[in-house]
Amino acid sequence: MSENTKNSEFFSIRDLNVQYKSGDQTVYAVNGVSFDLAPGETLGLVGETGAGKTTIAKSILRILPEHAVKKMEGEVLYEGQDIFRMNDTELRKIRGHQISMIFQDPMTALNPVKRVNEQIAEGYIQHHHCTKAEAEQRAEEMLELVGISKDRAGEYPHQFSGGMKQRVVIAMALACSPRLLIADEPTTALDVTIQAQVLDLIKRLRDELGTSMILITHDLGVVAGICDQVAVIYAGRIIEKGSKAEVFRHPTHPYTIGLFGALPDLKKDVERLSPIEGLPPDPTVKTEGCAFYPRCARRCEKCKTYAYEPTNLTDTHMILCCNPAGEEEAK
Amino acid sequence: MGRYVLKRLLILIPTLIAVTIIVFTLMNFVPGDPVMIALGSGTHTPAEVEAKRIAMGLDRPFLVRLGEYLKGVFFHFDFGTSLIDGTSIQYQLVTRFPNTLKIAIYSIIFTVVIGIPLGVFCAQHANSVGDRIALIMTLVLDSMPSFWLALLLMLLFALQLHWLPSTGSGSFKYFILPTLANSLGGLAGFTRQVRASMLEVTRSDFVTTARSKGISERKVVYGHALPNALIPILTLVGMRFGGMLGGATVIEVIFSIPGIGQLLVNGINNRDSTVVTGGIVFIALTFSLIMLLTDLAYALVDPRIKAQYATQKKKSGEEEKRHHGGHHHGKRAEEA
Amino acid sequence: MSKKNATEINSLKPGSLKYVWRKLLKNKSAVFGLTVVALLIILSLLSPLICRYDYRSMDALNAYSGPSSEHLLGCDELGRDILSRVLYGARYTFIIGILSTAIAAVLGIAMGAVAGYFGGKVDSILMRFLDIFQSFPMLILAMAFCAVFGTGIDKCILALGISNISGFARLMRANILRIRNMEYVEAATSIGCPTRKIITGHVIPNAISPIIVEIAMGISRNGLASSSLSFLGLGVQQPTPEWGAMLSSARSYIRYYPHMAIIPGIFILITVLSFNLIGDAVRDILDPTLKE
Repeated sequence: MSENTKNSEFFSIRDLNVQYKSGDQTVYAVNGVSFDLAPGETLGLVGETGAGKTTIAKSILRILPEHAVKKMEGEVLYEGQDIFRMNDTELRKIRGHQISMIFQDPMTALNPVKRVNEQIAEGYIQHHHCTKAEAEQRAEEMLELVGISKDRAGEYPHQFSGGMKQRVVIAMALACSPRLLIADEPTTALDVTIQAQVLDLIKRLRDELGTSMILITHDLGVVAGICDQVAVIYAGRIIEKGSKAEVFRHPTHPYTIGLFGALPDLKKDVERLSPIEGLPPDPTVKTEGCAFYPRCARRCEKCKTYAYEPTNLTDTHMILCCNPAGEEEAK
Repeated sequence: MGRYVLKRLLILIPTLIAVTIIVFTLMNFVPGDPVMIALGSGTHTPAEVEAKRIAMGLDRPFLVRLGEYLKGVFFHFDFGTSLIDGTSIQYQLVTRFPNTLKIAIYSIIFTVVIGIPLGVFCAQHANSVGDRIALIMTLVLDSMPSFWLALLLMLLFALQLHWLPSTGSGSFKYFILPTLANSLGGLAGFTRQVRASMLEVTRSDFVTTARSKGISERKVVYGHALPNALIPILTLVGMRFGGMLGGATVIEVIFSIPGIGQLLVNGINNRDSTVVTGGIVFIALTFSLIMLLTDLAYALVDPRIKAQYATQKKKSGEEEKRHHGGHHHGKRAEEA
Repeated sequence: MSKKNATEINSLKPGSLKYVWRKLLKNKSAVFGLTVVALLIILSLLSPLICRYDYRSMDALNAYSGPSSEHLLGCDELGRDILSRVLYGARYTFIIGILSTAIAAVLGIAMGAVAGYFGGKVDSILMRFLDIFQSFPMLILAMAFCAVFGTGIDKCILALGISNISGFARLMRANILRIRNMEYVEAATSIGCPTRKIITGHVIPNAISPIIVEIAMGISRNGLASSSLSFLGLGVQQPTPEWGAMLSSARSYIRYYPHMAIIPGIFILITVLSFNLIGDAVRDILDPTLKE
């Protein structure tokens, strides 16, 4: 994990910028995001709703809704090749085969008029050029793998519960044994009791298959259980990034500190939780200086003109803040 | 599923009986004494008139006549005889119906064959030049009275170019202009519906999922998006088909095609109330059956609805929403 | 200025009449539709004053004559000026379209509201009753009523009005059911908001917008249907210069004098198109998901 040569070998994103058009306005969804991922490693992308997490995930596979995207720039490098520069054929060889995705809402992610085994087999046929029977065999194996009896392979999505649907989606994503799995809030739409089961399943399959993973979540607890690296997103920027230990033990950006302050902690005896005051900024307005300024507990004059020069605390621990908390406050 | 069909049939039968009662009652109030109409012009002695009245059975109480009529229609498919020429209305309906059906079937085939690919094309190239041109054309065609379009087509292709016969019925050639006139207006609206439905479905999550699997764009569009987009369209096809029975009326009159619609219009103009009653009841029967078949087909293609009916567990919210795909012509479909 | 306008519109409640109207004026095709409709109404009202010929006056010498500087759109089989007739005749299409839709809307909304609000037995009786109406294609239903009522403008209005009730009733009922189950109505009920206030404050404002769309579409549909009925000799009769009736008589002369048939048709087309554009625009405003 801490090898320095890991950069851009397996997977990395360089200076990703995504803008949407909404009526006459421009939505600045992602603003200069970069990160690297080593094989077998899991990165947690953490942030509030609307921070741009899903946009980052979808731009990796170039599955953002074309009609809404105004600008999509940067590099998404998979084994040195830029996905943004690939033609359709090259891109399709990556999608589902090398990199695949688990979606947020299992209710809408499955085609309602196709049987689940067809939906799982479809990608496998595409990438392995096998017969339909072989692919359906594979689909049944995958269903067994995610804990669904293969007797149910011929059923339609509406016959499954939410948690079961998400298992189907997971089976679909892993059918071709991808090298990188993107999980976009895979448990948000599920009942709390089911969430843990599904997370355990994802974690187990990741370990068994040795897949790298980008896990998107707003739940720091989930990150703690699964990830090696953490990147905290605010207003379309990674404002703090580091190994799990670094970010969890020494959160440095005031926003990250705020996130931890808003978490209930059984070990500490706090009178009340301290939520972060205010709301995330309007993504249609390009602000001068730090986007977190209005909500920040440590705001100062410098922040108004801050141009997001990164501060490297260690080789792996980076923040975007011009007035970070000192050691004593970070504790 | 079987229970659902049964239930629908059980609702349909009383509705059709009610339709027949209402039409029969209404037609009882058509201005003009049927006896005088049956006797035709000229002078008749009161005794003659009275004898005719008794011969026609019109001296009996209204309810008795209604009962007889219902019995005739539902047990013997007998609609009585024409006031004017005394011919059997059943014979008229049976000989004329194939012509009306031909126009309706040709029209619906034309609509579907042109409308679906065109709608899909427009959705895939939304806001392109081609899409805009198609949109403007559909708007204009949609607003065009079909009888005017019929006259224009007749003027151009029959009277000026002499390519096709202008009136009458016979070989397929005779049905080309009526079919075009009957379907171009509806085709326009249909194309826009397919486009809208396709656009909506293309933006749903499962299409993104399909795309993320790395399958070809063609498979994404035709394998995933289209089957879903066609579900609400199916209802629309049924309703268009039913509506074409009405639209065919005007077309039949213009192209002098001996169909049900022409029978009806002639009947109204001649004050031949028995023919009018028979024609309207017959159209209602056919129309209701088409609507029933549409709803059943709809339940068959959508596994969700099918499951709903199978278990008789109604998720009314979802159903209502799906039926809304029927758009402003589709009020009918909301009640399932 | 425009920025200020924009914020003003955004501050209005989406779905409120004022909001729809403001947005409508920003939509090019809707403005086109509204302009054409307004223009036709004004020209029709002023036609006795501005036209050179009375719509009734016959001129045997000019019978069948095509468009000329004397008669801009030519004359019909009796030498009547087609321009005067068409402009005067606009009023029939508008009166029939608007009044029949009004009848259908008032009765339909009342029935739908009663059915949707009371539910239960009342609802099922009313709906079964409407099923009967729905067993016919709309034009056939209108023809049946025409057969009973006879011909004439008033009868045509009544026939079309009754034929369209069920559409409005179903729309209103569906809306009420939809809104009744919305969480904000539940929320209002849960804080003890009186029923009357819920209906006037939540249900009606939210049900009104789809009704407006249906009204615009209804006017165009009924205008079209009235000309179809007149064309069949069932609605308005000749010599009234109703467009469908004009077309009906022109039909016999189409081979040699097509202008007589083409001109009234163009006017029907433009009128129906205008109402459709308005209706489409209102629908887009109310349902932004349909827009790209």
